[in-house]
Amino acid sequence: MSLRELWQKPEARFLVLFLTILGASFAVVALRQVNDAFVTPYTAVIARMSGFVLRVFGEKAVVTGCVVSSPRFAVTIYNGCNGLITSLIFISGVLAFPAKIPAKLIGVIGGLLTIQLINLVRIVSLFYVGVFLPQHFNDAHIFVWQSLVITAGISLWIVWAHRFALPEESS
Amino acid sequence: MDRVGAQVRAARGIVVKNATQVFLRRLPLALIAAIAIWLLLRPVIDTAVAGLAQTLIRSFEYPRVTRLVVEDHQAQMRRADLRTDSKVASVSMTEVTFNTIVLLALYLALPRPFSRRQAERLFMGWCVLCLSQSINLLFHVKTLYAMGLGEWSQHHYSDLARNIFGFGRYFTDLPGRFSFPFLIWLGFNWEVVMKMLRVSEDTDGKTATKRKKKGKELRVKG
Repeated sequence: MSLRELWQKPEARFLVLFLTILGASFAVVALRQVNDAFVTPYTAVIARMSGFVLRVFGEKAVVTGCVVSSPRFAVTIYNGCNGLITSLIFISGVLAFPAKIPAKLIGVIGGLLTIQLINLVRIVSLFYVGVFLPQHFNDAHIFVWQSLVITAGISLWIVWAHRFALPEESS
Repeated sequence: MDRVGAQVRAARGIVVKNATQVFLRRLPLALIAAIAIWLLLRPVIDTAVAGLAQTLIRSFEYPRVTRLVVEDHQAQMRRADLRTDSKVASVSMTEVTFNTIVLLALYLALPRPFSRRQAERLFMGWCVLCLSQSINLLFHVKTLYAMGLGEWSQHHYSDLARNIFGFGRYFTDLPGRFSFPFLIWLGFNWEVVMKMLRVSEDTDGKTATKRKKKGKELRVKG
């Protein structure tokens, strides 16, 4: 099978485009300058938002950089916990899939906001898991919430593609 | 004739729309089932992934000294040429293999997940995922060798090797772990998912939204 024939296959085209966009976006995010100028401040904003929600719930939460702490528990928000990875994967999926540009824009903006909302729920819930069930914090953090966030991102993509995707022949 | 065709398409649209809704409704339950299956099979998965990673590492190693021993869901990196009182580095197998849950959940939420065809696809997809997990573990081990053992690392690995292993670890870590289950699932079930999304159903060049509107209009007229 030639490369051109492979490119004609929609699944192969999607996978190649998806991996290219994903690889490029992660390469950009890995650059120290981008990390210092964008990723770290972005993570700090997520930490401040989480601290705000926890204060609304009555916690005496203090935010220092990317650390959200209270007298009862403290969490540090790292790069993998700021929702950026799921967002980049979702964006790659939207951009690689055949759809019109306005539909892609709707997908990117709507998806980013929804993923951030889910991530906020995740951080707040993990904080309370740490307070009330500290022995289960690692399990909740690694396999429960990470699986939930990825599945939520994929569900969002499916909802978006179901509503906006172009038929194969016209793509 | 056109009208009959349009009505059939509209009816088909309802069925396919239901397929997406059924998938999304099934997904939370499928996720719970997938977590249970993963917890049950975790010791086997850990051993299989670490075993494959060890085989891959030893294939390019002379003398063959690396041993990956799984204990308490940690892959311990033991080398035959280290002193017995040396510290042993380890990698959390939970972080390496948790994405099995996502792959299982996506498969279980699809229509007829226990059919022979879907079971074969799940088996193939799971094998590919295990390979990606082993490669991730391989990069963890090689990165430790290339960067984490002080002068020994400096002496045995070049800057290029350090960059390659570091890069490999970075890409197979979070981006890989998060995206591979989705890619594998979509790659092996492309036509099932596209039918579910209504992408491969109609060929009239309209977006799904327009098709839905058209379907509604036809149902009112019909």
